Amino acid sequence: MILRRLNNLRPPTRSTTVAALVWLLCYIFAIPLSAANHRAVLVQAITTNDVAVQADLINSLANVPDPIIEQALTAWRQGSVYLYEPEDQPKVPFLLEAGTDATGKSRGIDLGTGEFIKDAAGQPLLFTAADLTAADTSSKLRRVIKTTLDLLALSNLNPNVRRDAASKLGQEQNADYLPHFRERLANEKFPEVRKALTEAIAITELLDEKADVRLGAVRALDQQRSIPGLDFLARLETEAKTKPQAFSLDLLNAIHQARIHIERHVSTSNFIETAFHGFSLSAVLLIAALGLAITFGLMGIINMAHGEMIMIGAYSAYLTQNLFIKMFGQGTRGFDFYFLAALPFSFLTAGLVGILLERGIIRHLYKRPLESLLATWGVSLVLQQTMRTIFGAANVQVYSPSWLTGNINAQDVVFAYNRLFVIAFAIAIVVFTWLLLTKTSLGLQVRALMQNRQMAACMGVRTDRVNMATFAFGSGLAGMAGACLSQIGNIGPSLGQSHIVDCFMVVVLGGVGNLQGTVSAALGIGVTDQVLQPHLGAVLGKITVLAAIILFLQWRPAGLFATRGRGLEG
Amino acid sequence: MMKKTLSKAELIGLAVAGVLVFLVLPLLNALPESHPLHLTTFTLSLLGKYLCYAVLALSVDLLWGYTGLLSLGQCLFFSLGGYALGMYLMLKIGTRGQYHTNLPDFMVFLEFPKRFPTTGGLPPHWIPFQHFWFAAAAIIWVPAVVAAIFGFLAFRSRIKGVYFSILTQALTYAACLMFFRNDFTFGGNNGLTDFKEILGFDLNAASTRRGLFMATAALLIITYLVCRWLTSSRFGKIQRAIRDSENRVLFSGYATANFKLFVFVVAAIIASIGGALFVPQVGIINPSEMATDKSLEAVVWVAVGGRGTLIGPILGAIGVNWLKSYATHTVPEYWLFILGALFIVMTLFFPKGIVGIPSQVRALKARWNRQSVSVAAPAALSPEEKP
Amino acid sequence: MKKLLPKILSGAAALALALTASAQDTVKVGILHSLSGTMAISETSLKDVLLFTFDEINAKGGVLGKKIEPVIVDPASNWPLFAEKAEGLLVKDKVAVVFGCWTSVSRKSVLPVFEKYNGLLFYPVQYEGEELSKNIFYTAEAVNQQAVPAVDYMLADGKKKFYLVGSDYVYPRTTNKILKKYLKSKGIADADIIEIYTPFGHTDYQTIVAEIKKFSAGGKACVISTLNGDTNVPFFKEFANAGLTSENCPVVSFSLSEDEFRSLPTKDLVGHLGCWTYFMSLTTPENKKFVADFKKWLKTAPAGVDRNNRVTCSPMNLSRTGVYLWKQAVEKAGSFDVDKVREALPGQTFKAPEGKVTMQENHHLINPVFIGETMANGQFKIIKSLGPVAGEPFSDKFLK
Repeated sequence: MILRRLNNLRPPTRSTTVAALVWLLCYIFAIPLSAANHRAVLVQAITTNDVAVQADLINSLANVPDPIIEQALTAWRQGSVYLYEPEDQPKVPFLLEAGTDATGKSRGIDLGTGEFIKDAAGQPLLFTAADLTAADTSSKLRRVIKTTLDLLALSNLNPNVRRDAASKLGQEQNADYLPHFRERLANEKFPEVRKALTEAIAITELLDEKADVRLGAVRALDQQRSIPGLDFLARLETEAKTKPQAFSLDLLNAIHQARIHIERHVSTSNFIETAFHGFSLSAVLLIAALGLAITFGLMGIINMAHGEMIMIGAYSAYLTQNLFIKMFGQGTRGFDFYFLAALPFSFLTAGLVGILLERGIIRHLYKRPLESLLATWGVSLVLQQTMRTIFGAANVQVYSPSWLTGNINAQDVVFAYNRLFVIAFAIAIVVFTWLLLTKTSLGLQVRALMQNRQMAACMGVRTDRVNMATFAFGSGLAGMAGACLSQIGNIGPSLGQSHIVDCFMVVVLGGVGNLQGTVSAALGIGVTDQVLQPHLGAVLGKITVLAAIILFLQWRPAGLFATRGRGLEG
Repeated sequence: MMKKTLSKAELIGLAVAGVLVFLVLPLLNALPESHPLHLTTFTLSLLGKYLCYAVLALSVDLLWGYTGLLSLGQCLFFSLGGYALGMYLMLKIGTRGQYHTNLPDFMVFLEFPKRFPTTGGLPPHWIPFQHFWFAAAAIIWVPAVVAAIFGFLAFRSRIKGVYFSILTQALTYAACLMFFRNDFTFGGNNGLTDFKEILGFDLNAASTRRGLFMATAALLIITYLVCRWLTSSRFGKIQRAIRDSENRVLFSGYATANFKLFVFVVAAIIASIGGALFVPQVGIINPSEMATDKSLEAVVWVAVGGRGTLIGPILGAIGVNWLKSYATHTVPEYWLFILGALFIVMTLFFPKGIVGIPSQVRALKARWNRQSVSVAAPAALSPEEKP
Repeated sequence: MKKLLPKILSGAAALALALTASAQDTVKVGILHSLSGTMAISETSLKDVLLFTFDEINAKGGVLGKKIEPVIVDPASNWPLFAEKAEGLLVKDKVAVVFGCWTSVSRKSVLPVFEKYNGLLFYPVQYEGEELSKNIFYTAEAVNQQAVPAVDYMLADGKKKFYLVGSDYVYPRTTNKILKKYLKSKGIADADIIEIYTPFGHTDYQTIVAEIKKFSAGGKACVISTLNGDTNVPFFKEFANAGLTSENCPVVSFSLSEDEFRSLPTKDLVGHLGCWTYFMSLTTPENKKFVADFKKWLKTAPAGVDRNNRVTCSPMNLSRTGVYLWKQAVEKAGSFDVDKVREALPGQTFKAPEGKVTMQENHHLINPVFIGETMANGQFKIIKSLGPVAGEPFSDKFLK
């Protein structure tokens, strides 16, 4: 725990370091004596030269709940435990603290005591990682360390770590681990970890000598519909072909049954997963295309720079992130909220750029839609290159807040948080846009303008202003889309280019000028794409979708939900 | 507005251009290298490349400038022509490739002999491309068929305006993805390259390059004349009528869809021939030639030069590409700014392109004069509002 | 104003000096890397390291007493333009050698040009092989110097199931084809190898990651990724969010180096593996000097060079190695003549940051190979050194 906290230390500022040091010393004195003993074992294990002795020492650490052991073993395995060799004294294994000072140096933490290594004057010594000799490990030792670490992980505080460790150790099919599993299972409360543990026990017992134990294990896997067990059952079945005498008919039947059940379970979960992926892709398409549906669908402007509005939104999210890192530091609770601030900020920035674009260029082109396409493509090139000049050609890094990382795993179907968020967000902005268009006076004016520009103007609608507001709103939506996309993909100058064709497809397929068309088109394209992908592969799937859209428009040239008017020119 | 016969100015222009491309430039190139007036083969090839682009620009203009169909997928046809000739060139490499077999290199290392064991590895549709005549025919019929199918579907269901543009863009995007696939037997991302000879002539020889340059120039002049004839005929009138008001033409009893389909196919063939001549001169064809931005770039050339004229696209294509060669050498970072700004300025202020500038200036002058003579006089129509 | 005049004067003097110098004792060298367009992300760094290397060499007296004068052109990630610019370099600028290209297609595009004008090109980026031109020297990793050792490492680590995912172009296809053959020769069953490709610029990896999740559920599985730069972000984000880690299913990526990590959320990549002939974290004195000198050079670098958060990576290092090998060969041949230099190149050795490298008769290097684990700071922790491996472009020569 100490080291984990030390790792989080912000290095440079003096006052925080001093505070941390004081805190650290208090903490160390509170450590019970037994922990100190384990550390002595650890130090001995690192400094001894005999591999067999080292292995024994490491194994003896498997049941120690002291987090420093885990930290040190992990570091040792990766070669970042270093040796400090003071004259006439035994070697001192140590770790480096996480940060470095301005000259690239950092202090060393003595593994035996948990304190910084100090010189004679009591000042902490400074080291540079590149100049140090790392404590030796051989591949055999690394394997021993790994196993010890996995066993340690079985009692980790984080249930996910426990679960992963259980499945990993189970896959080794090593009967020595069974007592560890059982002991853990007796105290375990989390259902997911319990499941992993029983699974691990069953997989390990598949190799048991007693036939009834094996049968029990197979049945247990069957009951659990264990996907990891599938491979092992298959292996068992092939084995049965080579030495049939070891397998009773009952066992063979049970294995066969289990495989059928599990495979059926896999296809069900695949089905649900595909549906979920379809929805989440639809949500992405919808979020990206909604702004375009407004500007193109309602205003008749082909904004080829729509992709760049998305990009501007994404870069705004990046800037917000940087600001929050500066204010709160990365990985802190404050930082986690950056995304909530990024959404409105992206909306505003992109909306502002939208206003500039509308006032400066598009306003002059309302009567020439094809030419608005060309001019806005020029704008898109300029915006891309501008971003390249400001932020560099490379993509920028955006870290997801912790509440958007991870997933819910229900019945072997993975629902990633960021995907769930995207779906929820898509629903929210569609509802919001719908309300805006149908329940507000701006919405009324927009719809009036869409139906008959001249007539609306005659009725006293200030078309100029409504146009500007609509365009700004559409651009703002694109900006929010960018912030949202930053959670699942790249942020770079060509971000917009990778979405623009898809966006146009959604809008054209949906039919111009109505929301339900856009929503259905996004759903149609997203779900079809995901349904096709497992069978055709990503490339052919995408081509098929494009071809299908082109063909579909033969049938309904104005899209799914065409607005019917009496005008001849549409 | 447009006469059937060539005007005097046009004749003089054509004659000058003919002398320049068929006599002066090749002769300058044939001079010994030490000669101060020597034109390097490099520059000549570069000019040849620009001329291919000019042919492409003419095809875009035929659609956009004269018929009002903005195709954002014209590079698809350009590339199809390129691929058709590229296949022939690829098979003529013979045993001079990396593996010294008759099979093109990429077919060897992608294990085509296993996929097509009966033909020794060559996919069946590649076989006839050993003959130049077949490749030459394919340059015409392949894009024609693709354009006819797509055009038939699109025009039958009256997809027009922006929808047409977006669909052509989707078409070329889908084709681009398709050609990127290695399984599609056209060399995937690496495309077709490392050509050695065409019709028995060494592609590296300066004389072959001169020949290709002259062929391109001839193609451009022929294309110009064909477009000139087409647009000044009765057909051309209907074309422009469709551009200005399709419904009126429709109600006058013309099957506009057929007219549009015809123009679309002709434009595809023109672009394809341009692409075919482009490939041996640059030495490579790969799917990125079909990428959506390439077609948009071709539209810029036309917009810059002046759409609805025939000389405009040629000037635009050569001018913008010369600018590109220059800018990517001298100010690489600013190239996209320049291109983008060109787009914006041209559409906003010079909708008629370079060619239209004199008439715009005249109109401005006229307005100025009228205003200064009498304030009460009605303001002249701004250029874009003129019929 | 007072300050300006001396500046102008000294500038003019320098210019005059440069002009006279260029006439006599400089040698022109071409740099052919995209500085705009999609490939600019990767290739700009190579241009920078080349400029650095030229300065390094010029500071020590140049090549054969002549200072290197770089001619930089921008092929703008446009393949026909690559051929045009290469021709320009050879014909108009008459450069002695060209360093350049990143993608295979750009190399394929310029290859006929170099053969036609008998030019010399050094190519520094890992590639699929299956090519050998007398006018190109490949300092790049061949498949048997990167993909095969990485898979060997995975096999030794007890991995039994391999998921090969790549972008759909020639390098991933060829590499995976070779790897599949290799894995089968090592006794991996067909059912345990899955090969998947995604289109250029793909952003949706849900299905693929879900498949990997189920594929790896039974353990002992790994992913071999030949996804190109951009698409790695959505892939790894999806990967991490699905609960997959380097512990339960490690990913070995062949296209990700330190330079790419600058624009990736490395947090999601921790523990995943890379295999290159060079890592920035190598501790040889040559590498320490290289990294330190490069960072020092950046401070005084010409305008247009990005100065922030710069790193070194394998393609950069191999670009630099190429320059030194060329310099040595020129000195051995006593001339800049392409034919003489080409003859002098095989057998040249150079004490590179990663260790001794040797140019072979087959125009590829003998180079030490390393396997590294990605760390959160965007560096690799070297976990295995494999010693020198001789690069071999043709897979039938190393696959028995």
